This record gives sequence, structure tokens and C-alpha cells, in this order.
Amino acid sequence: MTHWTKLERDLEEDIKRLIQCVSGVQDEEDANFQMAMKFAWSNFRFHQFLDVNGHKVQRTINGVHEKLLVHSDLVKAESWKRLTEAFLNAPLPNTEGTKTEMHYSILAVLLFLSDSPSNTNFTERPRLKEAEKKDDFDWGKYLMEGEEIDMGPYPDTPEWSEEESEEGDSQQPLSREDSGIQVDRTPLDDQDQSKKTVQSMWKVGEPEARAWLGQHVVTQYWAAKAPRFSHSLHLHSNLVNVWDQHLYNTDPLYTPDEKICVTETQVIRETLWLMSGVKKLFIFQVLDGKITVRNDVVVTHLTSNCLRSVLEHIAAYGQAVFRLQKFIDEVTGYSTEPLPPGSSSTAKRGSEPPFRTYQAFVWALYKYFITFKEELTNIERCIVIKDESVTLTAVLDRLAPHLAQIKVLHKVFCTGVAEVPPDTANVVRASHLLNTLYKAIIEYDSLGEASEQAVSLLFSLWVETVRPYLEIVDEWIVHGNLFDPAKEFIIQRNKDVPVNHRDFWYATYTLYSVSETVENEEKLSDTASGSSASDQAAAASKQHTMVSFLKPVLKQIIMAGKSMQLLKNLERNDSSPQKNSARDAERKSLYALFLESVQSRLRFGEESPADTVTEQQATKQSLIKMQSIVARHLEIDEVHDPLLAINFARLYLEQNDFHEKFSGGDVIVDRSSESVTCQTFELTLRSCLYPHIEKRYFQCCGNLMQTLKKDYRLVEYLQAMRNYFLLEAGDTMYDFYTAIFNKVLEKESWQQLSFLNVQLQEAVGQRYPEDSTRLSIFLEAVDPAKKKLPVNNLDGLTLSYKVPWPVDIVISSECQKIYNQVFLLLLQIKWAKYSLDTLRFHELNFATKKSEGVLFDQEAAKEPIKQQIHRMCLLRVKLMHFVNSLHNYIMTRILHSTGLEFQHQVEEAKDLDQLIKIHYRYLSTIHDRCLLREKVSFVKEAIMKVLNLVLMFSGRWQAGFGAWKIESIDKMESDFKNCHMFLVTILNKAVCRGSFPHLESLALSLMAGFEQC
Amino acid sequence: TMANAGNINAVRETMDVLLEISRLLNTGLDMESLSICVRLCEQGINPEALSSVIKELRKASEGLKVRINKYCLL
Repeated sequence: MTHWTKLERDLEEDIKRLIQCVSGVQDEEDANFQMAMKFAWSNFRFHQFLDVNGHKVQRTINGVHEKLLVHSDLVKAESWKRLTEAFLNAPLPNTEGTKTEMHYSILAVLLFLSDSPSNTNFTERPRLKEAEKKDDFDWGKYLMEGEEIDMGPYPDTPEWSEEESEEGDSQQPLSREDSGIQVDRTPLDDQDQSKKTVQSMWKVGEPEARAWLGQHVVTQYWAAKAPRFSHSLHLHSNLVNVWDQHLYNTDPLYTPDEKICVTETQVIRETLWLMSGVKKLFIFQVLDGKITVRNDVVVTHLTSNCLRSVLEHIAAYGQAVFRLQKFIDEVTGYSTEPLPPGSSSTAKRGSEPPFRTYQAFVWALYKYFITFKEELTNIERCIVIKDESVTLTAVLDRLAPHLAQIKVLHKVFCTGVAEVPPDTANVVRASHLLNTLYKAIIEYDSLGEASEQAVSLLFSLWVETVRPYLEIVDEWIVHGNLFDPAKEFIIQRNKDVPVNHRDFWYATYTLYSVSETVENEEKLSDTASGSSASDQAAAASKQHTMVSFLKPVLKQIIMAGKSMQLLKNLERNDSSPQKNSARDAERKSLYALFLESVQSRLRFGEESPADTVTEQQATKQSLIKMQSIVARHLEIDEVHDPLLAINFARLYLEQNDFHEKFSGGDVIVDRSSESVTCQTFELTLRSCLYPHIEKRYFQCCGNLMQTLKKDYRLVEYLQAMRNYFLLEAGDTMYDFYTAIFNKVLEKESWQQLSFLNVQLQEAVGQRYPEDSTRLSIFLEAVDPAKKKLPVNNLDGLTLSYKVPWPVDIVISSECQKIYNQVFLLLLQIKWAKYSLDTLRFHELNFATKKSEGVLFDQEAAKEPIKQQIHRMCLLRVKLMHFVNSLHNYIMTRILHSTGLEFQHQVEEAKDLDQLIKIHYRYLSTIHDRCLLREKVSFVKEAIMKVLNLVLMFSGRWQAGFGAWKIESIDKMESDFKNCHMFLVTILNKAVCRGSFPHLESLALSLMAGFEQC
Repeated sequence: TMANAGNINAVRETMDVLLEISRLLNTGLDMESLSICVRLCEQGINPEALSSVIKELRKASEGLKVRINKYCLL
């Protein structure tokens, strides 16, 4: 079975080669190639041709002979006859015997393929002689088979090398006759060619000149048919020929390809050029943006397979360099080639603002490539100087760390840049790139010392790439100006909302978060207010999102930025720009601060791993480090004395603050100190970046708070809201609401805007003249179905206070709505209280007398009336107790104490967002505690019932006896009792559960009233 | 079977003869394709089928070249 499959495989291989030879399609993946394979297979397997018949073929051979004779092509005919005879009697590679069916088969193929043989010019070429000549060469002797000779330290015999380097005349015969290899390898006409070129070389000039040229001018190996350069003929440096000879000897059908011989130095040079980004090379070729290795290049001392595998390894790195270089060119706009249609960045570049994150990334890459190219140049210099032998392996060894770094760079580039679909928004591109770098650093960092180099490279890359972001942040939180023309920052300004609009705080910025867990980038844009943005950030933190390194301080950045913008707008009128710009010049940018901190941290960080090592080693390490630093500083003064440096180092080591003293000035991260590890990268960020942002955040927001409180009287406005809406300005508001209540009592219409506003202005204007213009009252249309009960008479009364910008960011109209709800409740309670308080005993008595007169005859009724008066009085007191308890509870327990807490929190508030939150929380608290929440509406209904009862009661009291039926007293008593009992039960339950501790006082006082009954 | 050098040289001579025959018949085969043909024949491929495949491949690749040239001109 295996035998069969081997045959099959051989067959397959041969068919492939046949297709390559005949059709010229080389790529096996090519669709055409595949089709040809299928075609060939099916034809070979399923054909309808007869098997070969030897006689028939012989007849055809004779026929051809006759035909040639007829055409009087006697020479040809003679050759034909002789050749076919010879062939039929000659052995075949895998077939025993002569004149076999195979012989006829092969001849049949040729005959089928023959194309009018009589018309072609044919002269038989001499060949037997040639073959005999080849056989003469005694390889065994040449290779010194069986002989053991001590070659000495220099395996190249001096004789050879002398002749080779010395004289040109000896070269030609030497390479032709003594080196059998060369003769064998070169086809006849090609040899003629080389002969010609060699002869032309003769004309170059004197032998010395030629020798000089041979040494100093590189052979044009890249030109077709270039002359072969001469090289040592020693066995070791002729491996490729030896191997070829071996193949030739073992396989009669082996046909050597035409190869181009180069030297190893040339290969090294091309390698170095490839690495430095040269595109037009000979050994490496760029095909469709892919770097391939030419397959007809050989060096004499390696087999072509071996060389090829090494070169392909190099080409892979060349590919990475090429790709990175292309990206650099694209971004810098330096690209000379037309770009593929996929990346249309050139077309865009003209009109669009520069994408700074990519530019920074490219700048970092470029910086890296400068050092890489320096190294390449050094190697090239070594080759030129010829002090040491430079081999390909040595070069690869020397480049190994760089190659590893390029691999890392390419990997990061691929995931961070190349894989992003072409029409992605800049913000997504930027954050994806930063995230990729960030993740890569953390990934490599966790590998520990094994990837120190990669981490330090990536870190420097990241530090550079992050620069635009930090500059945007800096500009925003220092000048309040979100300058981001390329829209690459994760926060974008909505242009259509002006700063001095009350929606500014909520609707100005859009936060983009990039979800990475979802296959590709997804944009979760949201018109986010400061608060909701941070909420969103918190929610999104579960899925790895947006620019991860900014996430911990994102809220602060947003706050600081918005505060700063607001602040700038507030200050625009009154502060002088000169002062600001002067201050700005002294200020260090956020990025500079960040770099400084990173530097100082890394410098200290260097020592931290030493803690685990013994102390002695630690001091030794730092001593060495010191020494290098000191030596560098000494060199500045042109002093080269290592001993002096060591002693200085010892001296300085005793001073702990040496580092700051010596290297505090420069800001650029020292890339040469590769030993720097940024262990625990996130810790580095935490200590180097976040504090600066936080500091700025505290400054900005503190400033804004200060300005709002001081210059814009925020606290006073909050107080005013409490004064009027929550009736804290008791006397003022008393004047206002009693005027209304009196009108109601007198049964006059009070629902006129002019009347209400006059009353309000009068009341407020006396004590707070500045507020009287801001305050006004409206009557809102209320559903008439709700107005049936007397307690709902006041519904629709709405207070409005015009809050100026920017305080209206805090006290919004939504807030005023809540204030108004509380205001209405308070008015209702006040009204109930007022109507009970203003009742007079004599009114009731007077009414009684009147009724006595009417009911004079009914003596029996006298006694119950007195009793009824007593009952009325009792009920009044009970109602008063209830209303007063409620009033006390709301006014003192709730409004006053909550208000005190609120004032305290306002003092503490760090930023505007927090302040807004505090205000909202305050409002919702009083809203809750005034039982205005939907959930506890049944309690409020019971209270409203009682208040309604109070109003009815006072109405009846004033109307006097007789105006209503006696039974209604019973009704009122029982209604009140029911409501009272219900409330006591409910409140007690709530208090027992402990969920509403503030209700306790109300519950207790109501209970006390209840037990009296 | 091809261990000894004499045989190899003999086979090589055969191939040379065959190449001459091929040239005389104007088949258009070079040494490499000729070697492949010999190997294929020895593996039992029908000569007529083999020659027809070669002819078809030649025709097809001509067509391909023409098309590529046209494409380049366009």
C-alpha cells in the first residue's frame, strides 16, 4: 500500500513539474495550476488511447526516415536512423533491457509531439566526446578519497590562493579545466558567453589595475550574465558544487538550474539594506508588498536549501520592517508609491486635520528605527573595516535583540493599527492603538525579566503615543478648551450648545467608549452629562472599554475639563489675559509632569528589585550604576578616568539625593537605560499620571466651587429657594399666604394673578427687595375633577424663581418642580392650621343663640345643644393637635434638620457634579419625607382627608348650628377617628420596622393624641 | 539499479540521444521536460495521453499569456 502511495506521490510530483515546465505557471496555489493538475490527472487516468505497439512505432520511425529521404534531407535521414537505433539500444533509467516497450513509448511521445521535422534546420550536435571528457575526471582523486592529509592551520593551499589573487591569465584555464565542477555545471554556450565576458575584461587595463578592480569593485551579480567571481576552490567553500555534483551523480535525470553565485558578504549587505528599508534589492524581492527570496541565488559554501531557509527567516523580519516603514511613510505623507485603494489616507490627508495619536506613534517608531539603523550602520562599518570576520550568523546574532524587538513592534502594529478596518473613526483608532499598547505592556510585564527589553521598548512607545491624549487633556483641564480637530479623543464637544446655556453641563460632551469584548470596535456614544458619563464609565468597566489607562481618572478629567471651561467663561469678563499667559508660561504641561514623575520613579524603581537581593549586591549594583552616571558626566568635561568615576560614585552614594541633583533637569525618558523595568505598570501610572490629573481636578473644581459660591452667590440662591418654597422666611411668607386665606374665608375670589403677585411682591419686597423681581407666582390649570374637595382649592398655585446662569445648572426647573410640590403641601397644612387657629368660641355661641331663637319651643333640644358645643370644642382640639403635630413634624423634624445637613454638604462639595447630586438628593429626601412619593400615597391621602375634614369643620363652625345637621358631627368624629387610627397604625408599623426613623416623632405625637380619645 | 556510475553515464548518454531525436522532430521539449516525459512514461502513462496533455497545456498557456498581455495593454 505504502509502495503504491509512494508511486502516486512521485507521479504527482512529476506531473507538477511538467505543468511548471510546459505552462510556466509556477505557483501551485494558482487556480490555473490547479485546473491544469486536474486536467492532466483525468487525462492520464481516463483516456481512450490504445497501448503502445512497438511495431507500429517502428513503422512510424521508418516512415519518418522515408519522408526525410523523399525530401532529400539525406543528412537528417541518416542522423534520424542512427539516433533512433542508438536510443532503442540504450539503457533507460528505470527499465531493464533495450528495445523495450518503454523505449517505444518514449519515442511515441516525441513522435506525437513532432512538428514538421522536415522543415526544421537540424544539425546533430557532437555529444559523445563531451561525455567521455567528463568521465575522465577522477573525482576520487580530486576529493582525496581515502587519503588522510594534515591540512594545517590554513586549509587553502597557498598555491591556489596566490594564483587566484595574483594573476588574471591563470584564471581562465584554471576554472575551466582544473575545476571539473565548473565545467560540468555550465552548459556549452553559456561557457562561451563567460569566455567572451572574460575576454572583454581583459581590455580593462593592466593586470595590476584589474587586480585592484577585483578587490575593490563588487562583481555585478545583480546584472544578468555577470561574470563569475573567482573564489577558493577548497572543498569547504564549494559545498554547493559538491552537493550539485552529488545530485548529478545519483540522479541521471537531474538538470541543474542556472544559479547566480554571490558571496556571503554580499548576502550580509543585502540583509542590512533590507533591514534598513531599502526596497530595490537583488536577493530579496518585493512582490505585491511581500518580500520573497530569490530562489536562484547561491553562496558557494552552503547548499541552496540551507541558504534559502536562512534568508527566508531574514525576509520575514524584512517584511515586518517593510510594513512598519510603509506605515511611517503613510502617516508622514512621505510615501512615494501610490497606496492601495484600501488605505485612502493620502486622499484624506489634504483636507483633514492631522491625526496626532498616529503621528506620535509613528514618531516613536521612527525614533526606534534610528537606533536600529545605527546598529546596522555599525555592522556595515565592521564589514568595511575588515578587522573581524563578519558572517551571516554573527550578524544575525548581533541583531537578535533588535529583531526580537521588531517582532514585538510588528505584532503591536498589526493588532493596533493594521487590523482596524479602513473607515473607522479616529477616536476608535486612537483608543484601540493605546489599548493595544497598554495591554501589550501588561502582558509582557507579567512575563518578568524574560521580556524586560520588550517592556521597556513598548513603554517608551506608549509614553510617546499617549502624548497627544495627555496634551488634549492638559489643554482642556487647564484652559477649558477641548482642542481635538481630528476627533481622536474619547470625549467630544457638542458644538451646538453654547457654554452659557443651562444645558451646558449636561449635554455638551459625548463620551465614546470602545467595547473590546465585542468582536470589533463598537461605539457606545451617549450625550452624557458629567454624572451620567461617569456612571456609564462605571457600568462599562466590566467589559474592557475605551482608553483603559484613563479610566480611573476619567471622571475627574471630565469634571475638571467642564469646570475649567465654565470657569474660563465666567472669568472672561473680569480677568486680565496678560496675567494668565504669564502664569501659563511658567506652568509645566501635564505631559512634562508625567515624564518627570516617570523618570524619577524609574530611577528609584531601579533599586527596588535589589531589595530582594542581598544588600551587598544592592550596593554593588548601585555603585556600578553610579559609576556609569558619573563617568558620563565626567566625559562631558572630557575626563576619561574610570577610577575617578568609581571614587566619585562612592562619594555620591552616601548622599541619597544624588539622583535628583545630578539628573533632575532633563525631561526626555532615557531610552538607553534599557535595564529600566516598569514593573507593575499600572502602579507606575497610578503614581506618575493620576496624581497630576487629580491635583488639577481639585484645583479646577475647587476654583469653580469657590467662584460659584463667592462671586455667583450659589449658597444665597439655595437659601432663597428654601426661604420661599419651603417657607423658611416665615414672616414674609405668612404675609403672603394669610392674605390668600383671608380671601378664601371671606368667600372672595383669590385666583387672580395680579392679586397674587401684588401680595407676593408686597410681602417679599419689604424684607428681601432683591428677590422680589425674581419671584413670581402662577396659576396652573388643574383638572377640575380634582377640585371638588376644599383642600384641593389651592392646587395649581406655582411659585417661580428666576435663577440666573450659571446657578441654574444647579437649581434647574426640574428642581423647582419638586420645590413647588413641597410648597403646595406646606400651604395646605398652613391653611388647615390657619383655619383652625382663627376659629372663635363666640362665633359658635352666637350661632347657638340664633338657633335657640329659632328652636325656642323645643326645650328638650337645649340640653343636647350644649353637649354638641362641647363635642365641637373637643373635636376642634383633637384636630388642632393633629394638624400641629403634622406641622411640627414637617417644619422642624424634616425641613429644618434636612436643610442643615444639606448646608453642611454644600460646604464640602468638591465639584459641580457633586453639588448637583447633593442638591438632588436633598430634594428627593424632603420629597420622600413629606410623604409625596407615589409609593406612600395612601398615607398622604389619609392626611389630606384629615386636612379636608379640618376645612369642612371650620366652615361649619363659622356657619354655626342649624346650618347643618347634627348628625354630621358624628360623621366628622368617626371620619377623623378612622383616619387617625389608620395613620397611627401605619406609622407605628413603619417605625417598628425601622425603615423610617424620622417618622417616629410624628407617630408618637399622633399616638398621644389618639390615646386621649 | 542506478548505483554504479557506468550505468548513470549510459543513461545520461541515452538522454542526450533522446534530446537529439527530440530536436530533430522539433517537439519543442527541453532537457528538463524531456526527463519528466521519460519518467512519466516509465511510470506507465500512456504516451498519446501524455502528448495530448502537453499540447493542451501549451495551448492553454498561450491563451493565458495573450490574455495577460491584453490586460497589460488595457
